[in-house]
Amino acid sequence: MSDTGAGTKQSRLFALPKFLSGEHPFPWLLPATAMMVVFGVYPLIYAIWISLHKRNAATRVNVWDPTYNWIRALSDDRVWNALFNTLTYTSLALIIQLVLGMGIALLLDSDRKGYGVLRALMTLPLVVPPAVTAMMYLLMLDGSFGVLSRSLYALHLLSPAKPILANSATALPGVLLADIWQWTPFMVLIMMAGLRSLPKEPFEAAAIDGATSIQAFFRLTLPMMSRVIAIAVLIRGIDLFRIFDYVKVMTDSGPGTATETLTSYSGRIYFSGEFPYASTLALLTLIFVILISTAFMKLFRVRL
Amino acid sequence: MEQPLLYRRLRDLVAIAVVAVFMFPIFWWALTSIKPRHAIFNKDEVVVFNFEPTAINYKVVLLGQSRSEIAIDSGNTFGVGGNSSYDSRQTILDSMIIAVGSTILTTFIAMLASYAISRMSFRGRNGYLNWVLGQRFMPPVAIIVPLVSMYKTLGMRDTDNLFMGYVGLILMHALINLPIAILLMKSFFDDVPKDVDEAAMIDGATRWQTFQKVIMPMVRGGMAATAVLCFIFSWTEFLLSLFLTTTIRTVPVKITTFVTSTGSEWGFISALGTAAIIPGFIFILLVQRHLVRGLTLGSLKE
Repeated sequence: MSDTGAGTKQSRLFALPKFLSGEHPFPWLLPATAMMVVFGVYPLIYAIWISLHKRNAATRVNVWDPTYNWIRALSDDRVWNALFNTLTYTSLALIIQLVLGMGIALLLDSDRKGYGVLRALMTLPLVVPPAVTAMMYLLMLDGSFGVLSRSLYALHLLSPAKPILANSATALPGVLLADIWQWTPFMVLIMMAGLRSLPKEPFEAAAIDGATSIQAFFRLTLPMMSRVIAIAVLIRGIDLFRIFDYVKVMTDSGPGTATETLTSYSGRIYFSGEFPYASTLALLTLIFVILISTAFMKLFRVRL
Repeated sequence: MEQPLLYRRLRDLVAIAVVAVFMFPIFWWALTSIKPRHAIFNKDEVVVFNFEPTAINYKVVLLGQSRSEIAIDSGNTFGVGGNSSYDSRQTILDSMIIAVGSTILTTFIAMLASYAISRMSFRGRNGYLNWVLGQRFMPPVAIIVPLVSMYKTLGMRDTDNLFMGYVGLILMHALINLPIAILLMKSFFDDVPKDVDEAAMIDGATRWQTFQKVIMPMVRGGMAATAVLCFIFSWTEFLLSLFLTTTIRTVPVKITTFVTSTGSEWGFISALGTAAIIPGFIFILLVQRHLVRGLTLGSLKE
């Protein structure tokens, strides 16, 4: 065939500029880029702009005052409390989900009959809307008729006088329970994928040399999975840091501010109508996410 | 290497027990949805199986039966909430429109972008990819205030114009799904050797023809997995739907309105909740093979 790509282009009646032709990445990337700029970048710049204004409560007018909200945020005790809650929640959830996820992945990683069904069932919590998950746990943890609460009462692990979600010492673990149930399966999926991709030879060699399976796990599996684990921690950590649904539905940041996270505090301020401060708090969350994830990526040499 | 029988049996038992623990909340949820009121709100004992199953919660939520009809059916009008605020037919329709709309939009846009990222070399390619993934860092809360005022200016709030309200939410759901969709689709495109494209183009096909006629059919499974993931994320999304719309109520937002200061209608909540889980369940089981494979390729190849 003599008709090449260049030939077809010349035969066009009106030659398009090169960057508009299918050979150039521009038209392919245009829709995605346009969407992310209009609905992602523009609102972000706008949010920064709003955060530099002070809202006058009486006249409801925003006046230019670039430092007001930022100084207020940094000297606001609730911000530091929310940051502490967010960090506690994120790190506890990450550790528990990672360990459970790895354990369950090892447990279910078998070719024997029935394990495929178990693996399929294990992914089901992922499709439950987080708001619905929060409701499920609200029902099960209800102080008077919740099945989990009553089991804990029966085991004398909890007193009926202090319902789990209404007590500031146990409210955060209560919310955490919902998160762990929903997202451990995600870790299981990623870890399983990682396990499946490991080469067989090192394990065979280790078995011949008489290594126990525990030694093989710590000396071979973990080091070879480090990249997968780092990416899983990064993705999950970013989502955890922005936690909103469970807190909003289960405790609405309460009791008091015991489960208030950065995003839920920002949401509360938003509903009170003080948009400049709500934007400032949301941007503060974004700054923390970027700082922590960049540090993590540098420290563990993660490349996307 | 065959392990001893006792060990295998023990492992089976542990595996089943662990999966059962994770299945329990869904089981309890579905069970609650067919319980009569007195079995749900029993403060004396936990009712597990000793109750008469009822479909009344589903009739209210999915068929929109009214208060008076329930009263006639059950002979008990106590605590059955106002008019038909538990009727969720419109909510399910709203959720469907938004999830399907945003899935189609995301899959299409992500397909184009990820093909270019996978196949063409251009300046700033890695930077672009990082920027795309960086979009995922953003807490949705951060863009809520500007979005609401932007939609207000453009007349895109659902209270201004119902159709534009749908469009507005579809666009936002598409946006939050775009980074993960691009990443997934790119990994599926990377899986097809570049020789295939080159062979097609030597035979005289343009880029677009190569993409449409040759490459697309080869990544159909991956596309299905991406679409399912987008559908599930949109179907389960809470924050943006809560803040951006007032008359359009998606299922996760609607369900939280059933919790009131005077008490929660757990029967209705669990009925709608159970119904809301079903589409996701079916879809994820259909594409599970590709999904697991997609995650592997995304995080392990190199």
